[in-house]
Amino acid sequence: MPTGPVLDADNAAFVTSGVSIAVASRNAQRIPSLTRAWGCRVSGDRRTVTLYVSPQQGEALLADLQAGGPLAAVFSLPSTHRTIQLKARSARVGALADEDRLVIERYAPALAANLERVGHGGGFAAAYLEIAGNALASVAFEPEEAFAQTPGPKAGARLERPA
Amino acid sequence: MSGLSLDALRDCLEGAIPALVATCSADGTPNVSYVSQVHYVDGEHVALSFQFFNKTRHNVLENPHATLLVANPATAALYRFAVEYLRTETGGPLFEGMKAKLAGIASHTGMAGVFHLKGADVYRVRSIERVAGSVCHAPLPHRNLLAAVRRAGPALASARDLGALFEQALDALERDFGVRHAMILIADESGESLYTVASRGYPQSGIGSEIRCGDGVIGVAARERAAIRINHSTAEYCYGRALRESASQSGDDVLPTEIPFPGLAAPGSQLAVPIVHGARLAGVLFVEDPEAGRFNYDDEDALAALAAQLAAGIQLLQGAETDEDGGSAKDTALTPRGRALVIRRYAANDSVFLDDDYLIKGVAGAIFWKLVGDHVREGRSEFTNRELRLDPAIRLPALSENLEARLILLERRLAERGGDVRIEKTGRGRFRLLVRRPLELAEVPAAH
Repeated sequence: MPTGPVLDADNAAFVTSGVSIAVASRNAQRIPSLTRAWGCRVSGDRRTVTLYVSPQQGEALLADLQAGGPLAAVFSLPSTHRTIQLKARSARVGALADEDRLVIERYAPALAANLERVGHGGGFAAAYLEIAGNALASVAFEPEEAFAQTPGPKAGARLERPA
Repeated sequence: MSGLSLDALRDCLEGAIPALVATCSADGTPNVSYVSQVHYVDGEHVALSFQFFNKTRHNVLENPHATLLVANPATAALYRFAVEYLRTETGGPLFEGMKAKLAGIASHTGMAGVFHLKGADVYRVRSIERVAGSVCHAPLPHRNLLAAVRRAGPALASARDLGALFEQALDALERDFGVRHAMILIADESGESLYTVASRGYPQSGIGSEIRCGDGVIGVAARERAAIRINHSTAEYCYGRALRESASQSGDDVLPTEIPFPGLAAPGSQLAVPIVHGARLAGVLFVEDPEAGRFNYDDEDALAALAAQLAAGIQLLQGAETDEDGGSAKDTALTPRGRALVIRRYAANDSVFLDDDYLIKGVAGAIFWKLVGDHVREGRSEFTNRELRLDPAIRLPALSENLEARLILLERRLAERGGDVRIEKTGRGRFRLLVRRPLELAEVPAAH
């Protein structure tokens, strides 16, 4: 039976809205790898999510994903703490396409504005959001599970696929 | 561990920028989550706040390996820690220190009532890696705390008595540490409360005010023998409420015997460091500031060093007052005149009032009652610390080291109550009662 995408329209808008993003995987010894990401794109059918990772920062993560390791990604808006996590069995590491560059260009100013609201704007935000090594790789995956992670009693709850 | 030391990265562990933690289940599924607090434990360990039963916790119980990503809030420099879960603590100094700090973080981020510490998850730090990326220029620190500690040392060592020691410590805090609001509290014999003996930077000195063990940052620091530091104002550790409640509980027929706690109404930062000698709690050194984030790990260490010197000084100087020396035996120069000052003592709790003004209670009240009694009955003005120690009416516990601190408390309270009756030191282990008005004593026996 075909099922709908894990991301509903609201969460798809949220993960692409200039939130703070981090990605994790693990190696064969189950030691986790972890790095930040610079923006997110969701395909029209909401089944594919693409993130952008600096190879200079995320060497271990990209190696783990290229070796077929599973992926977890967390998205959080600093000013509201709204947070969700997506999980996938695997991911594809690739080069940037033109549509990716547009997403990346819009990402930093959006997150900078939110960091400013929580008192971490200015020089901090500028340095924090400068792309390490000035190069990014794309990490594309099909999320199979989504979890609410906003702090509180509902943290950790699985987000059901929209009907 | 690699070339980077955890000690040098403590600014990343203040909770200003939420850290990230990645874990992996036994079946190999990774998980990534924000963590409110990564707390510095020592040069090789950190502790993460465990607030909710979540996947992170589930995973580390199955597979202890985790990876942390932390940022320096001033420079934006990123660091990656490879860590290994060891254990969870649900009480004690580490837990209480994290609980207090988390309360501040919660109130600052609008999460009061949501953030609640269930445990301190302790991890061993296996390696630290600097993550490539830009950094911004961090402002220079306002002061060098090592230099401050060094300057304070000789100043404290020069004190010849306990009162001078307290003043030297407060002077050093102001001059060398840039601390504008500070107080020193001494633990009473019961170990259940602390009383203020010296303060700096408040409209009212608050000398004689009491804090129960376990109340607020000072009380928790005393109970746990641990430094407690909060970087944002939080209702949970506020003194205003606790004091109002205890005031409203005192009965109608009892005169108020609370000296208001002098602390700031809205402190942005608070730090309490225990003054410990061996296994014994001597007191608490407390500093605060209206500004949030005023004190960091380095301030905590610097104040702990100052508190250690205070502890040694208290021990040394209390012993020194057991013997007498010098002490001019000349008669008191004052001749009492004017209307009689009524000194009323309530035997129930040794509380003493000058006319209708509350002076002091407890051991200090009993000391004062003996002094004025001897003065009125026998015309005595000269006293020694030794005779107070031996006087059964004062009910000092055996081997009490607190007599000198009580005398300082009494001396300062008397000075603040207008000075019609004062005490002053006349030599080591000796002091004099100075009386400007005739005294009239009235005793209110304890009800049976």
